[in-house]
Amino acid sequence: MTKITAGKLYDEEAIRSIFDCMIQFDKIKLANGLTVIVHTDQSTPFVAVNVCYNVGSKHEDPDKTGFAHLFEHLTFGGSLHVTDFDMAVQRAGGANNAFTSNDLTNYYITLPANNIETAMWLESDRMLGPKFSKKGLDVQKKVVIEEFRQRNLNKPYGDVWHILRDLAYKVHPYRWPTIGLVPEHIESATLKDVKDFFFHHYAPNNAVLVISGNITTSEAFKLAEKWFADIPYREIDPYTGKPEPRQESDREITVNRDVPIDTFYVAWHMGARNEKEFYILDLLSDILSNGSSSRFEVRLVKEQKLFTEADAYLSGENEPGLFIATGKASHGVDIHLAREKMLEEIMMTVETPITAYELEKVKNRVEADLLLNEIGYLEKAIQLASFEIMGDASEINRQGEKYRDITAADLLATAGKLFRKGNRNTLNYLSLQNPGK
Amino acid sequence: MSSFRKIAPPVHSVEKIDFIEPIHQLLPGGTSFFTLYGGTQEVVKLDFSFKAGNWYEQSKLESIMAASMIAEGTSGKSAREIADRIDFYGAQLSTVPYYDNNYVSLLALKKHLPHLLPLLAEIMQDASFPENEFEIARQKRKQRALVDAEKVGLVAQRNFMRNLMGEGHPYAPVASPDAYDEVTLEGAKSHYIRHYCSANATLFASGDVDGDVQKLIVQNFGTNWGTPYPFKKDQIQVASSAEKNIFIERDNANQNAVTIGKRVPTQHHPDSAGLKLLTTIFGGYFGSRLMSNLREEKGLTYGIHASVVSFVRDAIFMIHAEVTAEKTEEAIREIFFEMKRLQEELVPESELEPLRSFLLGRMLEDFDGPFARSQSFSSLYEADLEVGYFDKIIHTIKTTTPEQIRELARTYFDPESMYMVAAGKK
Repeated sequence: MTKITAGKLYDEEAIRSIFDCMIQFDKIKLANGLTVIVHTDQSTPFVAVNVCYNVGSKHEDPDKTGFAHLFEHLTFGGSLHVTDFDMAVQRAGGANNAFTSNDLTNYYITLPANNIETAMWLESDRMLGPKFSKKGLDVQKKVVIEEFRQRNLNKPYGDVWHILRDLAYKVHPYRWPTIGLVPEHIESATLKDVKDFFFHHYAPNNAVLVISGNITTSEAFKLAEKWFADIPYREIDPYTGKPEPRQESDREITVNRDVPIDTFYVAWHMGARNEKEFYILDLLSDILSNGSSSRFEVRLVKEQKLFTEADAYLSGENEPGLFIATGKASHGVDIHLAREKMLEEIMMTVETPITAYELEKVKNRVEADLLLNEIGYLEKAIQLASFEIMGDASEINRQGEKYRDITAADLLATAGKLFRKGNRNTLNYLSLQNPGK
Repeated sequence: MSSFRKIAPPVHSVEKIDFIEPIHQLLPGGTSFFTLYGGTQEVVKLDFSFKAGNWYEQSKLESIMAASMIAEGTSGKSAREIADRIDFYGAQLSTVPYYDNNYVSLLALKKHLPHLLPLLAEIMQDASFPENEFEIARQKRKQRALVDAEKVGLVAQRNFMRNLMGEGHPYAPVASPDAYDEVTLEGAKSHYIRHYCSANATLFASGDVDGDVQKLIVQNFGTNWGTPYPFKKDQIQVASSAEKNIFIERDNANQNAVTIGKRVPTQHHPDSAGLKLLTTIFGGYFGSRLMSNLREEKGLTYGIHASVVSFVRDAIFMIHAEVTAEKTEEAIREIFFEMKRLQEELVPESELEPLRSFLLGRMLEDFDGPFARSQSFSSLYEADLEVGYFDKIIHTIKTTTPEQIRELARTYFDPESMYMVAAGKK
């Protein structure tokens, strides 16, 4: 491990405190293939029961997109032994929710620690077998289509990710967003599709259970055994997503929409979440746009006044994702000029190595963020599950080290690889409201 | 399959919540300083609140622009130097404007406080309001407002507040993004000088606030700075519109937003806690009447919520939903139907009992850890309430009867008293 450079202001002790705060956990695998992880945090009176399934929108049929997310909605309609899921959570003083991403589906219940069995009962029964009804399906299809409208169709810039994913991916299932390609895909879902989906993807051997909060490891493992051990192992569908072929020529698309301000999104293909490149590019995006002293903020927003907002970030999926640069042009500034200036700023990262001071600053920021953002027992459970789905929960404790090891040379080399000619996808998203500027 | 699954596991009710009050001291400069020690990590959060929100403005948007300028330069440091220093220590600084009070918050590793607190003191006490930064902030805010004006949900909510409170009222948002063209640097700076001063500040320090940190806080923020402006504006006339129902046309919408509600008594009124419980039953949680009917039964909306929004000097009961454009009428009808049902029928105990447990769980959550406690106590003191208010809420959750709930619905859910704004396609 390389020692952090020029650590004048950032003392050794502070670095150690981040190591001290490593997330302790224990892990076992039940006979049916369910992975169980326990993290004890006695500072809270609560526990979280978090179940993460290794199924997301990337597992969908291209003609039936949005299904994993619709399915998530349906699993709240009760299961073999549970008539009212939400009511049971409420009675135990708890709260619950779920989210679906391109990679996974994650359910959680938080409740006072002495009521943990209610959560174990509910989540194990959901894994055993949800109850699906025609009526439930019909209603949730409508609800999800309203969600589609509210988030994507009826919101300014709401369709950006639909266009951008379609532009950047030609083969890989990241081509469509989790909500689905079109509402018609959701409308056409049948009860048979729903049942097939469950038995092909929901299985103990395709899930991770994380219990965190005010509970001992032995008690948590005992309860996991009691509630989950008798759920049968199931054969699951192999994942068929094919890797996206290397992009060889730049792509560009322009759309005109009824929005007030011109914008653009430029996306480059990058490496997977568990590769070193991911951490390097995360730092690079921070150098460009995280914080008021970032390059975009200082040069493009404050000095040149080309943008009111300028941002660089990673799409953040588990498989190779996208590095995005975007901005809203200041009033009266030509969007194409603004975009070219941002690209110039980006290309400087390929040509000029970052200074020791700037590197140290951005590493300090990342390290502090890791600590400041991982405080809650629920956040820790979700993170542990997500890392385990990617292969190994203990990666969560190697993040700090991975960021710390990054050198100026790493940044330069990776930027060169990322911003190569042919790897770029540009979406110009122009306003119909003020044409002819 | 094993029979033990057939019966729900027994549940325990929340027995006890510790409302241990933060330690209070009055600093020599007049700042009220509260400490909430706790947590598992060496992290500290400082939350300053200033009586400096919209309520105290001489003209609109001065408060927002003043808050935007707090970290944008002092007589000795440029905006860039300040940003660089904050980022170097990995701290998170936010300066948030709001209706009654404005906030300045810092979240940082404890070890870095000796470097950060003098800087925080400097930016709060000596903000210089450079013109360049002001223009940038103004343009940024205006562009955001332009985008917000395209969101039917925000259009409905903001017009609802304007219609209910009257154009000039501090709780009413501005009519148009063009209002940002009117606000001046001088106006924003005067607002800052008048209201950001030690005697006008309250500080909550939470997390690993040990003796050393407290000492550091007193050193940096204990003195007298700024001159409080002699301000007497306890009441501002509410000028509700005579027209209770408004439709704002947005032809390109494929979903319409609906906001319905009225003014209700503040948290000092004896009905307040009960009204919050009634509102929760009606539309305040996933199992509410509105969610069950409009979402889970009819699929008219992705989400519908009712809440009581508490300001220091007012409170607003508000229902909000976004629904398929052509189903707007039906959705409104169902909302009023559910109001009427609460006025006429008693809420069954089978519905009340799980709700009581749910709300006690949320209450326990509000006091879980130093940051949550800090939030709960600062809201309490801001509203000029005492710790007994929490006990009153618990008592209300545990003991309110179906008859009392029906009585509250009869008092506050009169359809004739409601204001309504719909935005979208006619």
